[in-house]
Amino acid sequence: MWRLNKVRHKAGGHANTLEELRLRRREKERALRQARRDRQLVSKRLILNEDEEQDLMEITPGEQDVVSLFHALQHSGTDKEAYLRTLSKALRNPSAQLIFIKLENSMHLLVGLLTGSDARCRLQAVRCLHELSHSPHTSMASACLPATPYLLTYLSGQSTKFTELCLYTLGNICPDSEVVKERLLAQGIIPALASCIQNRTHNLAVVEAAGFTLFQLLQTKDAVQKVIPMVLASSLPSQLLSVLTPDPEFGLAPAIECAWCLHSLTSSAVDHRELLAQGALTQCSSLLVSLGGAVVDGNTDQGVELLVCPLLRCVGNLLSSCPVEALSSQLGDVHLVAALCELVFAFLHTFPALARETAWVLNNLTAHSTELCSALLTFNLAPRLMELLPFSQGINTMILRVLANVAHKKKEFCIRLAELGLLSALAATLKMANQDMVTLSLEVLFMMIVSSPQIAEQFVRQGGLSVLEAIQYNNEGEVRRRATHLLEQHILT
Amino acid sequence: MMLQPDLVQFMAVGGGQAHNSNKEEEFSEATEQQEEMRRRQTEEGNPFIFSPQLLRLHRDHELFEDGDILRHMYLQDLFISEAEEQPTTSVSEFACHISGCRVVFSTLDEYEHHYNSLHRHVCCSCRRSLPSAHLLDIHLQEWHDSLFIILAQKQDMYLCLVEGCGQKFRTSQERKDHLIRVHKYPPDFRFDKNRKEKGTRDTRREQRTDTAMEAADDVSRSEGVCEVMCSVQSNQHEQEESMEAHASSEEAARIEDNSASAQTLETSTEALKLKYSYRVPKTVCFGQGSVRGFRGQRGRRK
Repeated sequence: MWRLNKVRHKAGGHANTLEELRLRRREKERALRQARRDRQLVSKRLILNEDEEQDLMEITPGEQDVVSLFHALQHSGTDKEAYLRTLSKALRNPSAQLIFIKLENSMHLLVGLLTGSDARCRLQAVRCLHELSHSPHTSMASACLPATPYLLTYLSGQSTKFTELCLYTLGNICPDSEVVKERLLAQGIIPALASCIQNRTHNLAVVEAAGFTLFQLLQTKDAVQKVIPMVLASSLPSQLLSVLTPDPEFGLAPAIECAWCLHSLTSSAVDHRELLAQGALTQCSSLLVSLGGAVVDGNTDQGVELLVCPLLRCVGNLLSSCPVEALSSQLGDVHLVAALCELVFAFLHTFPALARETAWVLNNLTAHSTELCSALLTFNLAPRLMELLPFSQGINTMILRVLANVAHKKKEFCIRLAELGLLSALAATLKMANQDMVTLSLEVLFMMIVSSPQIAEQFVRQGGLSVLEAIQYNNEGEVRRRATHLLEQHILT
Repeated sequence: MMLQPDLVQFMAVGGGQAHNSNKEEEFSEATEQQEEMRRRQTEEGNPFIFSPQLLRLHRDHELFEDGDILRHMYLQDLFISEAEEQPTTSVSEFACHISGCRVVFSTLDEYEHHYNSLHRHVCCSCRRSLPSAHLLDIHLQEWHDSLFIILAQKQDMYLCLVEGCGQKFRTSQERKDHLIRVHKYPPDFRFDKNRKEKGTRDTRREQRTDTAMEAADDVSRSEGVCEVMCSVQSNQHEQEESMEAHASSEEAARIEDNSASAQTLETSTEALKLKYSYRVPKTVCFGQGSVRGFRGQRGRRK
């Protein structure tokens, strides 16, 4: 079970100094980015024993011990639990893992202990399997195949810790091998996960683990063809939605896992109708409003970004499938547009990437909805958005799109935007080095100018002519054409 | 980090990313404005194409990269909530539009100063940039008006360079003496150079490696009043000189120092010489607004 407040603690056990920690993190980040580019971004989780969580500097037993432990297990009578406990620690070592699975009948032994009558041995056996599942060697996954039907069966058992270990073990191995994934699907992992979440809503640690496992399943290759249809057909979508609101005592972790599952579904699936019908957009957007408010107030748990991020993505992608007529019923609350606007500011300097994603959602909100564009003006958000226009790396281009969406709807909106100072803002953005900003600024200027002759006059009064003239000498032909057209057809005539 | 052209490309093409191609759906809500926009967009020669678009982003999209990294750092126990290691927000730079002039600025004021100093009051004929409208007028008259020479034989035509003085002189030397005596100008005032015959105009092409002083001297050797060559070739009838750019690749920070010392010339330790040949509409000359776009052309098509 994962607690954010334990993160520092664990990480601190491995690195001696803060600097080492930073270095390690930076390396890890680089590796993750490369993995993502290679479309191979997968992570595993390791649950530690309670007693282990205090001391990670414990020296793990060497490789030779694995062999002797195995022999001891095969022959001993009553001490099996102790040997298993030691074995599970030994199996933390990657080379020990390889040695173990190559021993004849090693997995057979483990499975036997996993399913035997001694409950304590079962627990230790699943710990051993869990260590194996966390291995960097992908061959481990197939080696664990004999255990999977039992692991799945145990998901409907009652022992919390045991169930958690089963779930994380399954979650760790399914992205490693197509064979394993196929087998798990055939063995009914999806209904098993669904009932895990459904029946254990009082037990959030298990819900979190199930969410993680489902997420892993959704990251597998060909998930779109093989996994997602099954998931959408099951009761999982509604289960996931029901867990989204974080429990104040337990924390964000289960909601985080479920939200990321929903993101995997909405960003891969082409057909969102089922999810929309189940109220996914409604739920995610109202949660965003409340979380967003808390973020802005500075009133949140550590790590709330991990929940806000997938929620933003779900809303953004679901909006792209939602017919505009249905928007008001789906969204329920036009305050989403205000919440999102403030969220951009809240993330601007802490997580600029999330500020960018929020701006994307704003674009999808305002693209075709006159009602929401009107709300944006009513809530006086346009000046706020204009304050964002200096910020690069994808933020200002998206925000300018939002303003363009508003201008595109009605003449009255253009006039209002002009009153609120959009022309001055454009006078600045037209001079930016980023050509996309210049092109988009010209587009917005065009819409403004054709909507009212007063706007053209205002633009000229504010000294806009010289900018347009300069733009006629720009490198890009498309940019020059637009400036010329504006000058010749609309300003100077 | 974000590749903005990539994003625009995605939008323009309609979901060009790999994997499942997600077609963008466009729902139309026919408001009056939108009908009008559509009408305008089908007008002849209208280059404006914007229409609002729903953007569906596939899970592998670049825009999602940072958030995904955050997620996986969390899964691997390396998540940090504080901004300790977060990337800083960056602010867009400004850039001079004039093709070939590659200067970038971090503030609008710098942009304005640059543009107003170097790209205004430009003579349509020879592309030179003058510091003021008054000097531009004088330049146009004395350099590009064939009538001027004829009239100058009979009357005082050389106008004093100081605005508001208004005195006229028979020769440029007399004017110069006046400037020195009455207005206390230096004898080597940069903006009072004599015009030479056409054809011997500045033809230097090689790389300059030092400051504006040399460039100014070079100009002064050959020509009269103007200074900076502006980098725009405005139309195909411009034949005397090939268009060179005194483009500077300097950092914005140096503009302040340079403009103080070198009056209005750009300085660069590695001035780039670029030639390019795109056309600009003949009817427009930048300078002090299109109203004066025909200055120096006097009806003669250039």
